[in-house]
Amino acid sequence: MLLLEHDAKELAREQGIPVPAGVFVDSRSADGAHFPGGGAWVVKSQVDVGGRGKAGGIGFASSKEDIAAFVHQHADAAIRGHKVAGFRVEEKIAFAYEVYLGFMVDAAQRGVRVLLSAQGGVDVEAHAQHGDAMLTALAMPDEASLVAAATPLVVQLPPELRAPIGEAVAALARVFLHFDATLLEVNPLFVRADGSWVAGDMKLSLDENALERHPELERVVLSRPSVYREAVFKLEQGFDYVEIDSRGQVGLLTTGAGLSMMLIDEMLQAGLHPYNFCDVRTGLLRGVPTRLIEVLKQFARGGDIAVVLVNIFAGITDLDEFARLLLEALDAVPEVKVPVVARLIGNNLEAATRRIAQSGRAITVETDLDKALRLAVARAGVVA
Amino acid sequence: MSGFALHPDMKVIVQGATGRMGSRHAELMKQYGTNIVGGIAGASVRRAESAIPLFDHCADAVAVTGAQASITLVPPMDVLKAVTEALEAGIKLIVSPSEGMPVRDAIVACHRVREHGAHWIGPSTPGLAIPNKLKLGFIPDVSLVSGPLGVMSKSGTLSYETCFRLGSRGIGQSTWIGVGGDSVKGSRFAELLPYFHRDADTRALLILGEIGGSEEEELAEAIRQLGFAKPVFVLLAGASAPEGVTMGHAGALVQGGRGTVKSKTEALRGAGARVFTRIEDLVNGVLASDV
Repeated sequence: MLLLEHDAKELAREQGIPVPAGVFVDSRSADGAHFPGGGAWVVKSQVDVGGRGKAGGIGFASSKEDIAAFVHQHADAAIRGHKVAGFRVEEKIAFAYEVYLGFMVDAAQRGVRVLLSAQGGVDVEAHAQHGDAMLTALAMPDEASLVAAATPLVVQLPPELRAPIGEAVAALARVFLHFDATLLEVNPLFVRADGSWVAGDMKLSLDENALERHPELERVVLSRPSVYREAVFKLEQGFDYVEIDSRGQVGLLTTGAGLSMMLIDEMLQAGLHPYNFCDVRTGLLRGVPTRLIEVLKQFARGGDIAVVLVNIFAGITDLDEFARLLLEALDAVPEVKVPVVARLIGNNLEAATRRIAQSGRAITVETDLDKALRLAVARAGVVA
Repeated sequence: MSGFALHPDMKVIVQGATGRMGSRHAELMKQYGTNIVGGIAGASVRRAESAIPLFDHCADAVAVTGAQASITLVPPMDVLKAVTEALEAGIKLIVSPSEGMPVRDAIVACHRVREHGAHWIGPSTPGLAIPNKLKLGFIPDVSLVSGPLGVMSKSGTLSYETCFRLGSRGIGQSTWIGVGGDSVKGSRFAELLPYFHRDADTRALLILGEIGGSEEEELAEAIRQLGFAKPVFVLLAGASAPEGVTMGHAGALVQGGRGTVKSKTEALRGAGARVFTRIEDLVNGVLASDV
């Protein structure tokens, strides 16, 4: 998961990385805020996706009024579909060089790739295409290996950059490892005329699987529930849930990431509007309806949901037990009044079907997924 | 390192055999016919109730039973430790179903596996199986049908559903391997291709792929390099996933326009594979061909 630049920089600063002094503001706090430095600032939209600069999400300001104007103008913007969460206002840095330095997990090579270019900045990809080669090397995820891999790259830089970048490599490698990051990209990394360096921008992507060994990172994630929505949900509930379309018409109560993803693909191909993705992991329900209740509560917020489609392929799960939990969950969330189509297949299907029929609820049980989808469409009265 | 191989009667130990998941799945695998020869016990618990011989350490289990393979049914933070212990005991095939293993642990595990000349399947996988003969993991029996398809999948449930539909219509599997949904994994599609190339029981290949990463593109390259001549059917999930958002599988993430269905489809079709984005279309495509 990609952190906001502001969160990444503040975490890195606590680890001793030089970053421009900055504050986080939004449209409510921008007018009264105190800004560091004097006279020249950069106002940077905070959004958890790349490509911000080219989308107009960064502005320069020479007065408090400029800052406020930029903030108010961009407060409701979205960049590539991701809503701007706020702004980092920081002092503008006078620099002599813009360098690119990155560390990223290379899944195919099963290592960490170090990337370095003397020509950083927003056009780093264009530079690379014009033959200004990005220098890269592969390392193991430990400090000695990262530094050893980067050293032959650093010596290829212009002489005046070697000392500051050598220092930056060691410092940022430590941060990458310290946070169990999957990506730490500093671009631009400013080198000043006096040879000092500062992280102009920062992309820090965390390994969600490692969060439990980093309480300080968990705190940052939990502090912004509207930004890190899916990660917060997973931390709090223990399973994956993603809202796809707030106006979606079909609530999906499903298990299995791949099959749920495929189901959404197929629905969209057919012109249907799924509300959400989820993977409740029926194997981990442990006899209580908590997860199902949590998903139904999300559905209660979807004003356009006209039907709930359940899909459980029970390889090992006992469907009768699942049916009991589903009925309990529906009792617990009476706000969900729409019909339910339950595609159930696998262990103990007959008992589950009987139990559901006896409940008297408007639940249709079907064993074939495509038929269940068609039934859901018919029940909902939605038109593809 | 010798090539990846499976033997229906290979001796298997279960690491984490006394946990809630471990004891249950050890029993189910045994019932399926897997030659489970022992388990590694946690410090606590119900040793007396165990139906399989229990040992304190992998090395003891290997010394007594001659086990060649292991399945690690341990919490995600303990997988690296379990894999390391198995390797040091001389185990050559390890399957790790756990979901949620930290990426850095997975990188380190991959290197240790390579150093020991072993093979590692997972993490985040339902495991592997040869229908009616061998199961390491928990691929559902209802989907396991003996037949001509070599199966490799990033997703458990999508493979259960697809193989269930195919199996119900008479097309089963030769060997089924879940490579897992994480980005850093022990065995990637392309690395397992030579196994299916050699395997006489495999007459066609079924790949359940996903957006994100480069495994499908690597597979396309490997098909060409190896001269893999059996028909290849591919189902790709995640065409509709928004960029930068993961849906359950950490590896299924489109970033900076890379790892898209388009890129994967083009690469695979270029290598002669047939690519689908609906389950039923794939099923019909397989049925219509003569495999």
